[in-house]
Amino acid sequence: MPAIEVKNLRRLFKTNIGVIRRSIKEVVAVDDVSFEVQPGELFGLLGPNGAGKTTSVKMLATLMIPSGGSARVLGFDVVDQADKIRPRIGFIFGGERGLYWRLSAIDNLRYFAALYQMDPEVTKKRIPYLLELVGLADRGKEKVEGYSRGMKQRLHIARTLLHDPEVLFLDEPSIGLDPVAAREMRQTVLDLQAQKKTILLTTHYMFEADALCQRIGVINHGRIIALDTPAGLKKHVQDLSVIEIEVFGVPTATIDRIKALPGIDAVSIENRDQKQAMLVQSPRGSAAVPDLMSALREVRVGAVVVREPTLEDAYVRLVGGISEA
Amino acid sequence: MKLDLLKKYVRVAALSFEITVKSTLVDGFILFGILFQPLIIAMLALWMLQDRGGEYAIFVVVGSGMTGLWSTLLFACGNSITLERWIGTLEMIIGVPTPLQVIVFGRNLANVLQSLLSMVGSYALISIFFGYHLTIAQPLLFLVSLIFTVISFVCFGLLLAPLFVLNPDVQRWQNGLEFPIYILGGFLFPIALLPGWTTPLSYLLAPYWAARALHVASSGGDINEVFLSWGVMLAFSAIYILVSGRMFRLVIHRARVDATLGMQ
Repeated sequence: MPAIEVKNLRRLFKTNIGVIRRSIKEVVAVDDVSFEVQPGELFGLLGPNGAGKTTSVKMLATLMIPSGGSARVLGFDVVDQADKIRPRIGFIFGGERGLYWRLSAIDNLRYFAALYQMDPEVTKKRIPYLLELVGLADRGKEKVEGYSRGMKQRLHIARTLLHDPEVLFLDEPSIGLDPVAAREMRQTVLDLQAQKKTILLTTHYMFEADALCQRIGVINHGRIIALDTPAGLKKHVQDLSVIEIEVFGVPTATIDRIKALPGIDAVSIENRDQKQAMLVQSPRGSAAVPDLMSALREVRVGAVVVREPTLEDAYVRLVGGISEA
Repeated sequence: MKLDLLKKYVRVAALSFEITVKSTLVDGFILFGILFQPLIIAMLALWMLQDRGGEYAIFVVVGSGMTGLWSTLLFACGNSITLERWIGTLEMIIGVPTPLQVIVFGRNLANVLQSLLSMVGSYALISIFFGYHLTIAQPLLFLVSLIFTVISFVCFGLLLAPLFVLNPDVQRWQNGLEFPIYILGGFLFPIALLPGWTTPLSYLLAPYWAARALHVASSGGDINEVFLSWGVMLAFSAIYILVSGRMFRLVIHRARVDATLGMQ
């Protein structure tokens, strides 16, 4: 039996528009999503902001009722059997909120342990263990309001592990963390997977999905547009090379001109401090470089590198369009 | 309910109580409602009613204390679910196996017990600073009335919290609900001074019966009135618990449908 089973899941949001003549607009956040996650698997949902990742996780964590389709966690329906699911899952939503800032980390954990109806004797041993695990052992008595974002995120991890859940929903757990904290978080996720936890991780960081997940569902505009292993997803772009050009301020018209060149599959721009990196996907490889240089003749250009595609390039091709990171 | 589950719920309520006390001790708004506002009301009432004689002072102590209880009920207990949503913890506590009603019960108990400080503060102010000799006519009846008051207020809070979430229009009237209940509840003067048509409204309010029991027990009067008030408070508490159970389920279901558990 899969640990998570999602069939044709759909979620609509209704929003009011207008002031005098008000009308209701329906927005489809999750549209006909289906996937399964096996026990002990680390499954990733990868997609841009607003793709439907968090909405999907909230439905699976029993916090939101689907508008259509069905979802089961550990064999129980997320709508009608939420009470059976809640004691056996843990969830984190990226960001600092969701903790009692006026209380200490220890008090936060004591409270959530009671809410999960844990045995007080188990709680006494579990809290120091988890604070040690997330590196907050020496700060446990301090109020959370004085914590950095990374410390709050680590406390969230401790909170979600309190009752030793079988299934974990980690929604963008590394968002806003500095590189060292993000690396530690990824190591914690890997450690949890080594303990045979079933993990559903959402992220829009490609390297994170690549490094952690056994399978990845790429989600965009509420739909799963690809579902495969990281290696399988990279095959979507194995016919391509990526030309990475260092540029300084590229006009939109120039980007449009490059996109219109023959043999150009996708173009994306990444902002990197004072400069930008233009990533061009093309089956022509280095043969496309002269045409690109010609198109960029009015732009200051730095280093040019032709390389093999990564998961990020597969993602850009799947999601399509120009993305700016 | 199994004894084991009951123990777990008691533990949750106790920890909810503890964290509420720890949080509100540093909350200026709540402390103002519990301590300073009732003291201001006590001083004003004492100056206005001093021609009625010294025996009226205990009435003012109880009445101003009741204003602190009601303000706490209205704002702290009434906002107990909304506050969790504002600070982003509502999703976390809905996603646990413990019913929200148990969590809110512990929070309300802490808020209501803390608000009794307003009565203690008024007592100290009037006896120490104004020099009145304060005596409670029926101390035992007063103590039991206080316990019934706490029970009925905690249960009333269980009704207000989901009501304010289900109907934000009602919550918009929150500030406007403070003084009318002071008056209809007969906190600082008898409701007999009000127009006759308002009396049925007072009878529908648990705070009125709480004030009536406490006033009679402290100032003296027919003790049968105290017993009647206890009975009505218990009946109201039972009704509040039954109705609030349905409202909590409705709140959670609607929030899961409307996706309003979290705030972005």
